[in-house]
Amino acid sequence: MADVMFAPRRMDLSPAQKLARLNWLVIGLLTAIAGIGVAMLYSVAGGQMEPWAARHAIRFVPILCVMLAIAVVDIRAWMALAYPAYFGGLALLIAVELIGVTGMGGQRWLDLQVIRLQPSELMKIALVLALARYYHGQTRAQTAKLTSLGVPMLMIALPVLLVMRQPDLGTGLMMAAASMGVIFLAGAPVWLFVSGSVAAAAAVPVAWKVLLRDYQKDRVLTFLDPSRDPQGAGYQITQSKIALGSGGMSGKGYLEGTQSHLNFLPEMKTDFIFTVLGEEFGLLGGAVLLVLYMAVLGYGLFVAVTCRNQFGRLLAGGLSLTLFLYVFINIAMVMGLLPVVGVPLPLVSYGGSAMLTMMTAYGLILSVALHRQITIPRGAGL
Amino acid sequence: MIRVDRLFRLQRPSLDQAHQRLSVLILLFAAGFLVVAGRAVDLGVFQYAGDPAAPVNPAEADHRWQRAEIVDRRGEVLATTVASQWLYADPRRIQKPEETALALAEILPGQTAGDILRRFRRPKEFVWIEHNLTPSQVAAVNALGEPGLNFKTGSLRLYPHGRLAAHALGYTGIDGEGLAGLEKFFDRRLTDPARLDEPLRLSLDLRVQHAATDELALAMDEFQAKGAVALVMDVHSGELLSLVSLPDYNANRYATATPEQKRNRATYEIYEQGSALKAVTIAAALDAGLVRLDDRIDATKPIRIAGYTIHDFHGQRRDLTVPEVFTYSSNIGSARLGDTLGAERQKRFFRQVGLLSPADVEVTEVSAPRYPERWGRIHTMTASFGHGVSISSVQLAQAMAAMVNGGRLQPATLLADADRQGRHRGRQVISPETSAVMRQLMRVAVVKGTGSFADVPGYRVAGKTSTAEKPGQTGGYDHDRVLSSFTGVFPAETPRYLVFAMLDEPHGTEATYQFAGGGWVAAPTVGKIIARIGPLLGVEPRPADQTFIREAALLVQEKD
Repeated sequence: MADVMFAPRRMDLSPAQKLARLNWLVIGLLTAIAGIGVAMLYSVAGGQMEPWAARHAIRFVPILCVMLAIAVVDIRAWMALAYPAYFGGLALLIAVELIGVTGMGGQRWLDLQVIRLQPSELMKIALVLALARYYHGQTRAQTAKLTSLGVPMLMIALPVLLVMRQPDLGTGLMMAAASMGVIFLAGAPVWLFVSGSVAAAAAVPVAWKVLLRDYQKDRVLTFLDPSRDPQGAGYQITQSKIALGSGGMSGKGYLEGTQSHLNFLPEMKTDFIFTVLGEEFGLLGGAVLLVLYMAVLGYGLFVAVTCRNQFGRLLAGGLSLTLFLYVFINIAMVMGLLPVVGVPLPLVSYGGSAMLTMMTAYGLILSVALHRQITIPRGAGL
Repeated sequence: MIRVDRLFRLQRPSLDQAHQRLSVLILLFAAGFLVVAGRAVDLGVFQYAGDPAAPVNPAEADHRWQRAEIVDRRGEVLATTVASQWLYADPRRIQKPEETALALAEILPGQTAGDILRRFRRPKEFVWIEHNLTPSQVAAVNALGEPGLNFKTGSLRLYPHGRLAAHALGYTGIDGEGLAGLEKFFDRRLTDPARLDEPLRLSLDLRVQHAATDELALAMDEFQAKGAVALVMDVHSGELLSLVSLPDYNANRYATATPEQKRNRATYEIYEQGSALKAVTIAAALDAGLVRLDDRIDATKPIRIAGYTIHDFHGQRRDLTVPEVFTYSSNIGSARLGDTLGAERQKRFFRQVGLLSPADVEVTEVSAPRYPERWGRIHTMTASFGHGVSISSVQLAQAMAAMVNGGRLQPATLLADADRQGRHRGRQVISPETSAVMRQLMRVAVVKGTGSFADVPGYRVAGKTSTAEKPGQTGGYDHDRVLSSFTGVFPAETPRYLVFAMLDEPHGTEATYQFAGGGWVAAPTVGKIIARIGPLLGVEPRPADQTFIREAALLVQEKD
């Protein structure tokens, strides 16, 4: 790091001073979102803290601390860790391929006895870190050239293909989309994205034949025609839409959602939790949560805009995009706008993995925010 | 385009491009949120605004709704709507909240005092306490003398026979909307104001339904199967006199039923049905004139193709006649017949007999069959003995009925003649002559083959057993997880009814020498059902007529 030129003044802040300078409003909003999660899980369990609401709340506390810890670490340290994190994530993905635990139609989990790790979640963040690091090292002229795309394409293809092989198509596509976002922000030529989209559209029939498993094809076909499978995935979408619609403007009242409570909805505590919110609190409840997410993600983009170093800008932008995809895909899915792909609603859905991903990503965004005045010379490194 | 650098008053020209790109991202976020918000408004305000499940001010709501009755073919009521009492409270007028909550918790099972008390404490003038109270509960609530408690009259869909035919009937939600089965399929018809007094008449016969459910439940219990299906069908009209799927549930309490209980295994679950499809293969080959009954088919050794081996369970290791292939259920012989037929012709025939399209039966839980996209030689061979193609039990029953009824495919229906109004029109799929031969073959399979336990004195049962190994988790097939079924028709010479029984993953018992095949577990069940329903349906018992099967029977050599 000898070539890194430190900006004065900001250097000397102790972790405590940094903590004080954090945007606590936004942290409050994150806590509010998690609070909505607790309230909805309480409702899903029929008005009980057990088995989900209490654990969700308890889990949030240490994860919040992790986020704060990540936030106060100097952004240059994260920059130095970008490639190691990437290769570590890649190694874990290969490990999961070899010795992973099978669950829900794919090998996704790595059982470490203490915790069960989902390497693809880790990789979502590591990939954005690594790409931001790479493009930080490229000058604008280099970035505009086609040849500079080789390395990032390889960096993206390896983990994405491994994740798709698990098979977890949804996560794979999300990672690819977020990566494209970083490359776009970095300044790659626009025509690349236009032709890339055309090529992707052309690849759809091939992917259909080669990549998709039967159950995934079923989900897509069912999305196009929900009546095809009235008790399975189509049933989920139909019931979800009815539940959302029956909530009307202000909902049926907390703990009063009949669709949800009469067990019409599957996976209420995970993927379909937004439906429970919509049924019980109506459009207003849904709007409140959407506004909270919008504020939190909007702050992420604001950080990117005001950041003075390329690494931080790309990192904050890329991670905001990742989180945005989570939220958007989940909500669009329960509203029947997208096929059921099994993406949770971060901080609200029950499950530690998605919460950890969201908060880790947000910790990094906050770290960028704290260190956004620092200028880090370009062209360094790879 | 919004220029964020201006928005945030940043004047660093070198950052121009980065900020332009970020503005694109901001626009993307905004668009995403707009789309989602728009959809929420669309769903909440427009699409489901008139939905019966949508909330209305409960204090003013009229909770009566009407729905036509559903009756069986003989007019027995299967579903009706009655008035019921719904209990609500006006929390402002409740005198003794704690005491009343405790007392109500005693009267209403499933409610806790704490929960009721919480509702009493709401700053509202109207809260629901419970739907559909029984008369004795109403009396007990009245006896409390609490002025804050009141009743509204609501409606309740009642299924007098509880579990019987629950999967066919489906169920109705608390606001009178059909949520599954016939109730959902005919939601419009049942709520049509002009037809409220006109019951929907089904093809089901309550007596037959009861007999079939009874025998099937006994068999499922005896052989510890995880699920079971029984169907009784009129082979000429396609009318289902009985549709049983086990485990089942009480339609009056559908909300507490598990998905496993609610799953309609007869129409929704698709299986590789196994040997029964040999009847279809043989009929196709005979009808096309590709083989004659006395042709010899090489079944001396297993067929190896594309890395698979097709072998016989009761291998005779010799050339077999067509009746022998059927009676001894030879996979090798069927595969050779399928191969003679060829992929194109087989696929066309399968389509004709309805195996490649969802059953056109009047419930909403109908699955599409699953079959290979590219139908290669190996697929032709396995499909000819019922593997690689997954179909519902109702599809199988339709096709098997067509094999014996003179050759017409008559789609299965749950409606009685009058209500059907020509919705279904059958089509000829094999010649009456081929169908006559199939009747012989199926009778021989009972007299001399694997289906002997299905025979009932006087009712001349014909049929085919199936014992299909189920696909394993890892690809390939599991030897110890099987699907065992028997498709029977009676009386053999001029069939009137088809009786199908299937057990999912049965286990052999001491009485069956640990065998769990279709001949051991499903054939006796079909026999017992026929013994009970034959007299009800007015089928005249007669001594067996062995002359009609002579042609086929002579071609079956005794086993080694």
